[in-house]
Amino acid sequence: MRRLPVYLLLDTSGSMTGEPIEAVKNGVQVMISSLRQNPQAIETAFISIITFDSEARQAVPLTDLASFQMVDIKATGTTCLGAGLNLVATCIDNEVAKTTAEQKGDWKPLVFIMTDGIPTDDWQAGLEEFKKRKTAFTVACAAGSGADSNLLKQITENVVSLDTADSQSISKFFSWVSASIGVTSTKVEDAGKEITGIGELPPPPSELNIVT
Amino acid sequence: MSDVTDVVTKIFEVHNINIPASRKHLFNGFIHDESNLAAIDLIIQNQNRLMGKWKMKERIADIMGQTVRILNASVGKSYEAKVDFEKWGWNDIKDFEFAGLEEAGLHYDEQTKQITGVPIQSGDIPVQFKFKIKGQEDDEPFNEKIITLIINPDPKSLWKTLESDKSDPYWKEDNVTEFAPINDRHIVVSCKRGRSHANVGSFREDHHAFKDLVGGWSIVVVSDGAGSAKISRKGSELACNEVINYFSEPALLEGFHEFDELVQDHVQNTGEETEKKIKLFAYNNLGKAAFHVHKKLEEFAKSADVPLKDLNNTLVFTLFKKYDVGYAFLSFGVGDCPMAVLDQGIKEVKNLSWIDVGEFGGGTRFITMPEIFKSDKFSTRFDFHIMEDFSYLILMSDGIYDPKFVVESSLPDIKKWKAFLEDLYGKNEDKIRVDLNPENKEITTQLSQWMDFWSPGNHDDRTLAIVF
Repeated sequence: MRRLPVYLLLDTSGSMTGEPIEAVKNGVQVMISSLRQNPQAIETAFISIITFDSEARQAVPLTDLASFQMVDIKATGTTCLGAGLNLVATCIDNEVAKTTAEQKGDWKPLVFIMTDGIPTDDWQAGLEEFKKRKTAFTVACAAGSGADSNLLKQITENVVSLDTADSQSISKFFSWVSASIGVTSTKVEDAGKEITGIGELPPPPSELNIVT
Repeated sequence: MSDVTDVVTKIFEVHNINIPASRKHLFNGFIHDESNLAAIDLIIQNQNRLMGKWKMKERIADIMGQTVRILNASVGKSYEAKVDFEKWGWNDIKDFEFAGLEEAGLHYDEQTKQITGVPIQSGDIPVQFKFKIKGQEDDEPFNEKIITLIINPDPKSLWKTLESDKSDPYWKEDNVTEFAPINDRHIVVSCKRGRSHANVGSFREDHHAFKDLVGGWSIVVVSDGAGSAKISRKGSELACNEVINYFSEPALLEGFHEFDELVQDHVQNTGEETEKKIKLFAYNNLGKAAFHVHKKLEEFAKSADVPLKDLNNTLVFTLFKKYDVGYAFLSFGVGDCPMAVLDQGIKEVKNLSWIDVGEFGGGTRFITMPEIFKSDKFSTRFDFHIMEDFSYLILMSDGIYDPKFVVESSLPDIKKWKAFLEDLYGKNEDKIRVDLNPENKEITTQLSQWMDFWSPGNHDDRTLAIVF
């Protein structure tokens, strides 16, 4: 079976402490629960959580929705987005199956990035590595005024922003991510086609501004 | 004795009472007084009890706050999860019980130390873990910790079956299964709407057709409408019907006399010359049929004022005829629908087309694409084969190919075809058997049931045509 890999690259730097990090954890939980009710998603979508602060780590390896369990994540340290992008690239290499004569490969992965700050490391180096991997699409979310949408635009053309990194906005972001995964899993199964841009995703809620 | 001195000294210090050297003697006498000793002992005992109680409180709070994970369960699937106290560092739990499991269809088995059962209800189940730790009194109430157990729904239960809209101008029946004689054989075909379409009440996009033609020829056609094309259901229907229309022209099949001679030549002398002639014959006749379909689709798109790509569909067909020397098969294919013929002993499989599979999903080709007729590959889309006798001629859409054959490399593999036939004959999860026998009155029901097999991630329309 062809899996639909989804990577969530989440900022867990010190500035996310308190309400934002709790909202992220909650957002992921709600997202997983709702995707479990989608017959196409529960069979095809596989989720991985990668966090970045002073370093990047894969908090949850690529896991099917039925077995997925959210781990506790804590906010601390700096904002090593570059290390995060680098790790996503490595995980794609290790976890996403390529098509060969004997096996059908996975669908191209979806990547959702959320950050509330400015990277503190050499993020371009990580980006360079990340760009070598094929994704169906990458969406970056600038959460609150501390994040730089223009910088995220260099990572992907699909950038959305939240005016504030409060729990309501963050939960809206995750419910939109959830709807986007749902639509993509339906599309790959039904039409055998991948989604290539933000225009094919469900319209984001009003809390999310599309950065053009 | 020294700790007695320490205890009293510390108590006195807290209350700003210092014992000067001159009073040491008096102090010693004081703490050796029997009634004072008893009081000090009581203080020490109370202190210890207090500290013990606090430690217990802290320990209980630790356990309450500890994140523990229990394997996720799924409705209808037998579940076993070990409750591993050692792994969680809970060796000091002396008494416990679980509550809230029964409602979900589960229970805790003392013997195996497992939560087990077959879940009946999905959701995030708050399981109450009631416990007492060592040191707690037996008559104390249990501490209560909530452990969330995730129970997934049964994916099968999530699919809805919504009827398609009959008032739609391009509506067609959701499921069709037919059985009929064909040539000197029989054909059973099932063409069913996929779960992904049923789930949203959209239409079947696959289509099929078959017919006995003049001159001893028969034809079977399968077409798969592209999921991304708006009215591909109409495209696939038109494509099938137009292939049949094209070959139903009696004048056209008269030209097939030439082919009869070629077959005789071919059998007597399998030289390159006849081979070439046959290929040219196929190219001329079947190629024209394919182009006829393309033109008809173009005409329809114009008249309906829709872009041609809205009709996108794949197309495969096989013509066959019985000769003294065996059966001759002529085929044409665009797209990812396999066609194959198997010999009587199921020792040999001959694929009647190669399939268009892109590097990634959605890379297939459609009969609506003008470029396929101009491509160098066009001449390779035809095939010709003679088989002394055959057991099955099989055409299928990717809705069957994807779950049952998965990759191209399976198609030339006779073992995979044997397994496929065994599957049809009942070697499957639901033990549904299709008895491919012309006397079988239940044949359409059986095939229709078999077509509903469960395969995660494979819920496309399914078409399977078997000539036997």
